[in-house]
Amino acid sequence: MDVRLAELVEELTTAGEPQLEPGRMKELKKICRSSEEHLSHAYHLLLTRLREEHAEMRFSAFQIVQELFSRSHHFRTLLVSNFQEFLELTVGTDHEQPLPPPREVAQKLRKAAIAAVLGWHEKYGEAYKKLSLGYHYLKQNKKVDFQDVHARTVAERKREEEKQKRLDNVYKEKAKRAEKEMAELSQEVAETLTEMENCFRLLLPDPFDFTVNGTELEPTEQSADKDRSASSLPSYVGCVDDEQPCCSKDILPVSPCVRMDQKEELGDKQKKPEQNILDGDTCSEVESGVPVLGDDDYEAFVRNHGLISHKYTLDLELSTDIKVHENEDNTAVINSVVDAHKLIRNKFLPSVQSWIQLFTRAGINDDRLRCAIDLKNKLEAALRKYKEMNITFKERKRKVMKASDDDDEDDDDDFVEVPEKEGYEPHIPDHLRKEYGLEPQSPPKAPARKAPAGPAPFSSRARLIENEDELDPTCAAATLKLIRDKLPKLTPPQASESATTEPAALEEPDSKRRKLEEERAKAPLMPFGLDLHYWGQDQPSAGKILKFTSEHRFWAPSEVEEEVENKEITEMLKTRYITFAGKFEPVKHKCRAPMPDGSLCERQDRIKCPFHGKIIPRDECGVPLSAEDRAREEKMRFEKQANQPEWRDPEFMREVEAATGVDLGSSKNNGKGGKKKGKKKYPNLTDLKQQANTARSRLEKIVFNKGAVKRVVKAMNQMDQRKHEKFANQFNYALN
Amino acid sequence: MLGFISARQAGLDDPLRLRRAESTRRVLNLELNKDRDVERIHGSGINTLDIEPVEGRYMLSGGSDGVIVLYDLENLSRKPNYTCKALCSVGRSHPDAHKFSVETVQWYPHDTGMFTSSSFDKTLKIWDTNTLQPADVFQFEGTVYSHHMSPVATKHCLIAVGTKSPKVQLCDLKSGSCSHILQGHRQEVLAVSWSPRHEYVLATASADSKVKLWDVRRASGCLTTLDQHNGEKSKASSEAVNTAHNGRVNGLCYTSDGLHLLTVGTDDRMRLWNSSTGENTLVNYGKVCNESRKGLKFSVSCGCSPEFAFVPYKSTIAVYTVFSGELITMLRGHYNTVDCCVFQPNFQELYSGSKDCNILAWIPALREPVLDDVPEKSLRRQHLNPAYEDAWSSSDAED
Repeated sequence: MDVRLAELVEELTTAGEPQLEPGRMKELKKICRSSEEHLSHAYHLLLTRLREEHAEMRFSAFQIVQELFSRSHHFRTLLVSNFQEFLELTVGTDHEQPLPPPREVAQKLRKAAIAAVLGWHEKYGEAYKKLSLGYHYLKQNKKVDFQDVHARTVAERKREEEKQKRLDNVYKEKAKRAEKEMAELSQEVAETLTEMENCFRLLLPDPFDFTVNGTELEPTEQSADKDRSASSLPSYVGCVDDEQPCCSKDILPVSPCVRMDQKEELGDKQKKPEQNILDGDTCSEVESGVPVLGDDDYEAFVRNHGLISHKYTLDLELSTDIKVHENEDNTAVINSVVDAHKLIRNKFLPSVQSWIQLFTRAGINDDRLRCAIDLKNKLEAALRKYKEMNITFKERKRKVMKASDDDDEDDDDDFVEVPEKEGYEPHIPDHLRKEYGLEPQSPPKAPARKAPAGPAPFSSRARLIENEDELDPTCAAATLKLIRDKLPKLTPPQASESATTEPAALEEPDSKRRKLEEERAKAPLMPFGLDLHYWGQDQPSAGKILKFTSEHRFWAPSEVEEEVENKEITEMLKTRYITFAGKFEPVKHKCRAPMPDGSLCERQDRIKCPFHGKIIPRDECGVPLSAEDRAREEKMRFEKQANQPEWRDPEFMREVEAATGVDLGSSKNNGKGGKKKGKKKYPNLTDLKQQANTARSRLEKIVFNKGAVKRVVKAMNQMDQRKHEKFANQFNYALN
Repeated sequence: MLGFISARQAGLDDPLRLRRAESTRRVLNLELNKDRDVERIHGSGINTLDIEPVEGRYMLSGGSDGVIVLYDLENLSRKPNYTCKALCSVGRSHPDAHKFSVETVQWYPHDTGMFTSSSFDKTLKIWDTNTLQPADVFQFEGTVYSHHMSPVATKHCLIAVGTKSPKVQLCDLKSGSCSHILQGHRQEVLAVSWSPRHEYVLATASADSKVKLWDVRRASGCLTTLDQHNGEKSKASSEAVNTAHNGRVNGLCYTSDGLHLLTVGTDDRMRLWNSSTGENTLVNYGKVCNESRKGLKFSVSCGCSPEFAFVPYKSTIAVYTVFSGELITMLRGHYNTVDCCVFQPNFQELYSGSKDCNILAWIPALREPVLDDVPEKSLRRQHLNPAYEDAWSSSDAED
């Protein structure tokens, strides 16, 4: 049982856990209970554990002590008889023996020990003199304030309360300020929201409004239309008459009598046709869309509409990804939407959020908060809507260019930009177009959206529109846009060339010019130099040097060859040195030699890998491609193996070691492999040595290494020696 | 015990014998008793204690903050539980209190009306106990480590004072002046003690590791300098002449009969000397830890058949038999270094003062009441403090 006791104590104290394991603890208590001998044995075991220089061990031991102390009188006597040491080991009363690391656990231990002493004193202090002495000692000599635990918490609580109060005040202040701010801003926010909402309506009509407003708005709409383009209007309206205006957002099968979406009024007339055509497949069936009607109406309805049955099913596939493109027409709207969006995103939403935060923090739960939340919801809804709209707007710069382009083609066109709608079908028969300008096609005819549109009709369309743009701006705009989109490359040169020059006349020089340009593109760019300066010129005087052999003022030799030609100089004027260093080519191959861990060497050396020698082509497994290399590598491996005696085959050794548990040094064979560290004795405890493994300690290890110190000393001695040698003859230096 | 009593009744034994046996037994059973407390007055370490020899009732204590407290040790309450009350004290607020640490207090040996105290403030004060006013003050040039009055002197009234100066001063209470100077030490004198046997013999211990015995009638020189090697080695090496210890000697105590002298030094040794010959008796006490830089006050029992020495040993008190050097027990109870202990011979009690501000009373444990077997258990239960009961929870018993 003693052995088991020792085991238990060891296990419990080396668990490193903040709590004792209840199962083992129970067993320990059981053993301790059985006899006083066991108890005193446990006491001594625990005391040795307490003496360990490891706070976790001490802490666990202390916890066991605490358990036993409250249970056994014998244990109490034992512990109290050595209470000084106990205090030293757990509270750290001795300055020369501070509690061991780790620090956090040591502090915990200290705290727990002090609390325990206090508790023990209250309970057993009278009966155990030394316990109370120890308590008084801690209290009066070590100035341990036992009430500190409580007192501190009280003080802290007070402080916290004060802090809370202060915070509350601050929050209230802030909330008040926020309230004021909200009152000021909410007006603005509401305006912005309305603006945005209106803009959205302008851009994309709300389908729900159709039935409601349809009839009332029609006149105005028509009148507006009239204002704009009288000629296109009748057909337009007529068409819409039969068709369901199936806007992108159309959700309801609108009753067939609805003329058109009145929301499309005013701002963007030309969007309408596109939208009408959009979602062609859906629209095809819209016609048969059945509104809910009474039984009486039913037959009449069927008859009226020439339908065979009333029981059509209507499948509406609504594409949810809407895209609103900017065009000239809705620029202003989009601009305002974007501005409003920015305003909301950058200013209103954050401030509203901060208000909500402030209100919740201040604990305000009344109209103000609700109002703020409402605002926030509205703003978020607006943002969401904006996002759903997928508005693509062009940057201002581009738009300006576009405008000038447009000017070339159709000067007075206000309606160039049409937001492209999905499902828009630009294919329109020519004759119809001539008559109506742009006419929405009947949906069933509509082929796939954009792809098959040939360039020819479009170019012709373009021309047509050029002529007809006054007639129908809507149509012109739509087509032009499409042209621009579809044939971005073809159109501009055509346009420019046809506009500026006659193509026939220019054809021949054109080819020459092209050739020239090609050559020019090839020619290298060189810095200017003397050679270029005198390019193609003959320099008669080049390289000639005037010679004055005599330097005398009056006297001169008679025959003097005055000029000497220096070939080099002549050459210099005509030559240019170009250094050719070649071009840097990054290494693309890898070493790819097989590594012991199974991977391939990743090094990218040009010629030779420092680890695996010359780089040779290898296959995926790292085996050399050429037989010669393979043989060589094989040989090397063989030699290496031969260096090791057979019985030291590492794998075999490892097996033997595993079986016998004796270290035969197999790990040493692996060169750099190094020794495996012995298993830590108590893996659960914090490793104290590891904590010492800091950069500083590692450096220290190197710097204060004995060998290193020796070397340094030697070097310094040598320096000294040299000095001495230098001045050895001098009396002054001879002695030191 | 009963045998002793019956022998005593029959007149077979010397009365002293019973007394000795009993007091020895009591000393051996000294323990920290929960029934006896000493009131906590001192706010700092206690340097010195003294119990008056007349009645053995009053105890003086000197603290390192200059406070002197007078305790009444006698329990008149007829209850086992007793806290020694402080009758009066010379506190910090007292106008004549010592400024610095009080190193030694001593009762006037013949009467409780007067006591003396010496302090690091370089004074020795003679106090009137009843008025708590200093009757006389002696000023010295160095801090006073120790002073002592002869307990047996009838023909002189000298106080030996060991100060920082190597000269031992003798102050005459009758004249109120320093009458003598004993020269011989080379360093500060840490402990002085009069022989309880010869009224003119004085022992002094100094930081120069020497212990000298003086006859104060002969001021020219000391009687003898104690030599730890009994003169054998010192002949060879002239430097180590007559040292009692290899470090500072800071404790000095005569046995109660005055025949032997105990010294302790910072070489962690305690030596017993024959006081008449100055011979080292070579009793080996083992290591007696001693780190004090000041004087150490230890005491020897009185009236026991082997005499015991109570020596502060770090935070414990070691109890040795004086003549065999056997370590009997260590009295554990203090939480800091023990500086002094004093033995009360009448009741065989020991009082110790420590740096942890406590004065602990070590009281002989009572004899276990011998009772019949049957009622013993129930009776014990009744008497037992509830705190002594075990409290194994039932859940522990289950498994």
